[in-house]
Amino acid sequence: MNGTRGYHSGLVDLASGLISREIFVNEEIYAQEQERVFARSWLFVGHESQIPNPGDFFASRMGEESVILCRDRAGAVHVFLNSCRHRGMKVCRYDDGNTTVFTCPYHGWSYGTDGALVGVPFFREAYHSELDRAKYGLVEVAQLCCYKGTVWACWDAAAPPFLEHLGEFSRFLDLILDGWDGREGQAELLGGVQKWIIPCNWKWPAENFSGDTYHNISHRSVDLVGAGPSGRSRRDYSELSASRRLHVAIPDRGHQTITYVLPRDHQPQPAYQNSPEVAEYFRHCEEERRRRPGANSRLIGAPGEIFPNVALLPRQPRTLAVWHPVSAHQTEVWRFFFVDRDAPRAVKNFLRDYYIRYSGPAGMTEQDDMENWNYAHAASRGVIARRYPYTYEMGMGHAVADYEWEGLRMPGRVVDLTKAQASEEPMRNLYRRWAQFMEADSWDELATWRREAAREGLAAQ
Amino acid sequence: MSDDRVAQLLLTQEIAQFLYAEAELLDERRHDEWLALLAEDIRYWMPMRRNVKFGDTEREFTREGEDISWFDEGKDTLTRRVRQIQTGIHWAEEPRSRITHMVSNVQLLTVTPDAGMPREVTAKSRFLIYRNRVETETDLLVGKREDTLRRDGDGWLIARRKIILDQNVLLTKNLTFFF
Amino acid sequence: MSGIVNVRDLAVGTRVMLGSGAEVEIVSNPKDGVWLFARYLSSADDAALVGQEDMIFAQDVVEVRS
Repeated sequence: MNGTRGYHSGLVDLASGLISREIFVNEEIYAQEQERVFARSWLFVGHESQIPNPGDFFASRMGEESVILCRDRAGAVHVFLNSCRHRGMKVCRYDDGNTTVFTCPYHGWSYGTDGALVGVPFFREAYHSELDRAKYGLVEVAQLCCYKGTVWACWDAAAPPFLEHLGEFSRFLDLILDGWDGREGQAELLGGVQKWIIPCNWKWPAENFSGDTYHNISHRSVDLVGAGPSGRSRRDYSELSASRRLHVAIPDRGHQTITYVLPRDHQPQPAYQNSPEVAEYFRHCEEERRRRPGANSRLIGAPGEIFPNVALLPRQPRTLAVWHPVSAHQTEVWRFFFVDRDAPRAVKNFLRDYYIRYSGPAGMTEQDDMENWNYAHAASRGVIARRYPYTYEMGMGHAVADYEWEGLRMPGRVVDLTKAQASEEPMRNLYRRWAQFMEADSWDELATWRREAAREGLAAQ
Repeated sequence: MSDDRVAQLLLTQEIAQFLYAEAELLDERRHDEWLALLAEDIRYWMPMRRNVKFGDTEREFTREGEDISWFDEGKDTLTRRVRQIQTGIHWAEEPRSRITHMVSNVQLLTVTPDAGMPREVTAKSRFLIYRNRVETETDLLVGKREDTLRRDGDGWLIARRKIILDQNVLLTKNLTFFF
Repeated sequence: MSGIVNVRDLAVGTRVMLGSGAEVEIVSNPKDGVWLFARYLSSADDAALVGQEDMIFAQDVVEVRS
């Protein structure tokens, strides 16, 4: 595929910047996605802070399917399909907890936390001891990766390892997982995963979080009352206005993000003056962050998307969302919220209050996003509507590789939004990758960077 | 009937009428008057619910002030939410939803100091909220409320509301209304 | 007590009779109401089982002994 007219009949036409409405509303396309995208991609399952002890489990989801994230007696992490190998009943219908076995209520088959089939009623009598129990452990994912506490899993053994899949996007995932002071991997989840249903295709929120800087008008109501994304009452307004705002798209991976780059000599401003403990905590963190080597000290996180369906917001609020497909017309959102594990209680509470107010179904900002996705989807379903593709032409041809500002290089293809305000480079990046997944027969075709590396290797000889 | 029982009866009726009047304000979108019924130090909390193993009751609800919940608000944030609706450009609530709050099963749990001269009351009620939006969007939300009400002149202020919604995965796309 | 037994809440150390005539002592209880981990104290038909630990299916439990 040459990256221009993608997905067979050109549903994703990047030469012209037009994408068909069918990709959102067509039920056959949705069905194909389950095989071609969700069954082959790395998917977010949970965080190790949810399963700290042996026997701990968290019922999660990969695509449409229920999975169990658990830690076995030896302390190893597993992700299993939540379905008894005998006749399919869910072996876990609790949201989370601690257990020694997962027992199926239908015929009583029982599995250890390592997935092994340990209990088969009447094994000697009814099965004459002939059943090969080793064949019937819980179905386990082909690959699993724990990265700074986050747990990712993939059903496809041929997929590249997680970090390779992440590529140069890893620094943006680090922004949400590293400490506010720059220490590695300090994030833990606040208790409580928000789960709710939205009446639209999963790709609406996926593209929004890929980098929609164009839609702030829809959040005007929350800006007016304070605590919105562009309100001057935002704590970090002075920082953001001193920064370069960028779109960064990692081609060949389908990950992209908005990000802010601080000037080289930027001094942090005092903040949270109403709460001395909180103010001091963040002052200390900012100072530490500037001290540490590494480019991330100059990055301020903003909405981004890891292909296919994980949205990051590393900053304010600090949250990760997964857009689980339910049908072409419905998505179940799971929202996870992070804090630094050793932050003082007062700081965690302060952040928590903000998170609840901003994100989720009671989030004053997220509510308007969902309304738009809901009715954009509904309006795309008709016969006439589907004849009119969407324009994703904004800023076509204006992204650059090798972007650098005051000594900081950014990876991938970058659009400087300082004047431009918005672009659709992130969306084009997302859908280019999506079209590749829909067309490719295997990861041999999808891991395009490996072919390029091989070619470069040959050329160097 | 003893004086005490009569006082209980009258107080229960008075509290029920208060809750009905509150529901009327919300249904009629008289949000400023509704805000005036909230104490300045109100806590308004709607925990999330988990499916937990029999007996594991501590983990069924997310914890107030510690975990993520659906709502965990004070008067300031409730006021902001009202102001957001009143901008007329809060698209999630523009055009406005049609909404009916049905309140029932009003029970007095505690009365301080006594039903004759109550200063503070805790009351439990059930709710059924019917919300209809735009063309065919319809939500039915059912659950319980545990309220602490404080005497204020001839009336009452809501000092605390815990909302127990009977859902795990939230089945409505947003919570732009009040319980 | 005999008849149908809810094994869910049986404490570790409880002795139960199985339909096979064996007596076992509960070593751990996953509290799923379906299985117990137990050690054989006696067996009517297979002496080799005595002292061994095994998973016991709820339907095999006929009586709580202690």
